[in-house]
Amino acid sequence: MTSQEKKIVTAVPDLRDFPLDRLVELGTSPLAHSIALYRERLKENGIPLSSFNARI
Amino acid sequence: MKRVAAIKTHRLPEAAFTALAAGEGDPAVIRLLREAQRSKHTMLLAAIAEAAGDADPADPEAVAFRAGYELLARTQAAEPGAYAWVMGLPHLGGWLHDGLIRLDQSTPPDFAYLACAAASGAVRAGASFEIDLPVRDGRVLLPGLGSVEVAEQSAWVRLRCDGERLTAGDHADVVIRDARPDYGSGPPVPHWCGTPAVRVLAGGLAWDVLLVTDDAYLDRYTLPMSAGLSAGELRRWRQRVQDAWEVLVRLHHWAAGPIADGVSVIVPLTPQSETDLISATSPAAFGAVATSWPPDPVTMAETLVHEFQHVKLCGLLDMVPLAESGTELVYAPWRQDPRPAASLLQGIYAHLGIARFWWAQRQAETDPDDILRAHVQFARWRSALGPAVDTLLRSGCLTPEGIRFIGLLREQGRALGDEPVPGQAGQIAREAALDHELTWQMRHVATGATAVANLADAYRRGRPFPGQDRPEAGVQEDVRKLSSSVRSRLLNMSYLEPARYRELCAAGALPLSGPDRLLLGRDPEAAVRGYRDLIADSADPQPDAWIGLGLALHQLPASPLRSAFATALPVMFDVHTCLGAGCDPVDLASWFG
Repeated sequence: MTSQEKKIVTAVPDLRDFPLDRLVELGTSPLAHSIALYRERLKENGIPLSSFNARI
Repeated sequence: MKRVAAIKTHRLPEAAFTALAAGEGDPAVIRLLREAQRSKHTMLLAAIAEAAGDADPADPEAVAFRAGYELLARTQAAEPGAYAWVMGLPHLGGWLHDGLIRLDQSTPPDFAYLACAAASGAVRAGASFEIDLPVRDGRVLLPGLGSVEVAEQSAWVRLRCDGERLTAGDHADVVIRDARPDYGSGPPVPHWCGTPAVRVLAGGLAWDVLLVTDDAYLDRYTLPMSAGLSAGELRRWRQRVQDAWEVLVRLHHWAAGPIADGVSVIVPLTPQSETDLISATSPAAFGAVATSWPPDPVTMAETLVHEFQHVKLCGLLDMVPLAESGTELVYAPWRQDPRPAASLLQGIYAHLGIARFWWAQRQAETDPDDILRAHVQFARWRSALGPAVDTLLRSGCLTPEGIRFIGLLREQGRALGDEPVPGQAGQIAREAALDHELTWQMRHVATGATAVANLADAYRRGRPFPGQDRPEAGVQEDVRKLSSSVRSRLLNMSYLEPARYRELCAAGALPLSGPDRLLLGRDPEAAVRGYRDLIADSADPQPDAWIGLGLALHQLPASPLRSAFATALPVMFDVHTCLGAGCDPVDLASWFG
C-alpha cells in the first residue's frame, strides 16, 4: 500500500446508512464517546467562527 | 446483556488529506467531507433525541420532535436520497449545534424544528404524511425548501401531504411540485414562499445555491442575517452570483467545481457600513457561507474562494483534530484583534486560497487599476503566509497531523513565492502589511510599567541600551486606544479603489496630518521630519504619528532604525511617553536599534 492509499481513522462515527430507528441502540457505545468528545471540543474551543473584513 | 450495534468511523484517504492541505480538494474529496457531516449531524441528533426522551411526553415540542424523528426514519427507509439531502442541510447543522449547546446550558433545545426538517425531507421524497408543525410569523418553515403561509392564528398547524398536494390547516393548499425553492423563473405560488435560490451556469458547470434570509439557525454570524430581500435586491443578488460564477469557472476552475459541490447556501448579511465587506463561515453550518453585499463580481468570487477554504477546513477539523486549544494570543496579518494561536490555522488556510485566487486574477485583468489591485492582493497575502505558519508552529498548538498539514500547506505557499510582482505593487503590499502590523502592535502589545520606567531612566542618564535585558512584551487586547486611521484607510484604498483614491487626493480635502500627506505623497524624508517634530513637540502621546514614522522610515533605504520600529515600536512609544515632550523619537529609536 502506497502512502497515498493509506486511510486516516477519523473522529466521526460512520452513521450515513445507520437506521435512525436503531440509533438508540448505540446508547452507551462509542457513539456516546464521540458525542462526549465533540462536546469537549466545543467547551475548549468555544464556537470557532471565521469572520473576515476585506478592507483591513 | 443488551446487544450494542457496532459502528466504524469515517476513514479519510491520505490523498484527500494531502489535497486538502494543499488548499485543494476535488468534488470527490468534498463529498467525503459532506458525508462525514451527515454522520456528525446524525450523531448530534442522537444526543438531542436522548434529551427529548427525558422531556415531558405531553409537551407539544417533545411530541413534535418524536413525530419528526419517526417521519425522518420513514423517509430514510423509503427515499434515502431525500433523507441524505435533509440530513446534510446546513440549517440542520446549525440547529443541532445550537441544540447541543442549549442542552449543555440546561436549556431545552427547539425540539419542534426537527419536525419542520423532517417534513422538508418527506416533501422532497414526495411521501404521504401528516405532522403538526409550529407556526412562526404566520408561516410554517420547511428548511431548504421554503415556507407555507397559514391563515390560522394558532401556534401549531397540521401539515398534510398525499404525495401530490400539501395542505396546511384548512386553507393553504400547494401542489407538491411547486413546494420548492424560488429560482425566479415561475409565477408566484399561492400560499407558498419558496426560499430564494439561483441556478447558475458557466462553461458547462452548474451551481445551485439558496439565498437564505429566514432561518434562525443560519442567523449565526458576526453580522445579522439580512431581513429578507426585496424583488430588486434578489434580482441583483442572483445576477452577482451568476457573474461571480463566471469569474470562478473561467479563471479559478480548481475552486469552482468543489464550491458547486460544497456550498449549498449563501446567507446575505446586513452590512455594517457601505464600504466594509464582511464575510463569515461557521463550523456548525457546513455548506453555508455568509457575506454582506459584495461590491463587484471579482470580490464576490474571492469571497467564495476564501469562505470555502474555511468550509473545507471546518469539515476536516471535525474529522481529524489538527490543533489543540490554548491561551496564547498571537498576531494574525488579516485581523485587527489578537487571535488564539490555533485560530491562525483557519486564517492561513483561507489566505492560501486568497493568494492563489489573486495569482490567477492578476493574469486576467486588463484595466490598470484592476491589475494593480490583483498584484497587491497577491503580494500581500502570499507574504503573510510564511510568518503566520512560523508563528503557528512556534506556538506548539498543532497535533502531529496538524504539523503534517501545515507543512504541506507551506510548500504550496512557497510555490507562490517564486512569482514576480511589479515593483510598485510590491511596495504598496509591503506598506499596507507593515501599517497593519505596526497598528496591531501599538494596540495590543504591552510592556510592564517598571521595565518601561527603567528604560526611560537609562536613556535619560545616557546609559547604553540594556540589550541583554530587553524587556518582555506580552499581548494584551486594546492596551492602547487608537482612533481609526484615515491614513490606513487611504493606504488600502490606493490599491483596492485606485480611482476613488486619486479623486480624493486631487480634491485635496483629506483630513490628514501634514506628515501623513507627505508620506502618502512619497516624500519620506520630509515625512520623517514632520512626524519627528509632531511627536517631540506634542504634550500628548501620538501613537498614530509613531506608526507613520515607522512607515516613512520604511520608504527610505534600509537602516537599523527600521528594525527598531519593526520589533520594538510599542515599548519605544511607552518609554517616550514616560520621558515626555521634547524627546526626539528618532534619537530614542537609534538608542533601541
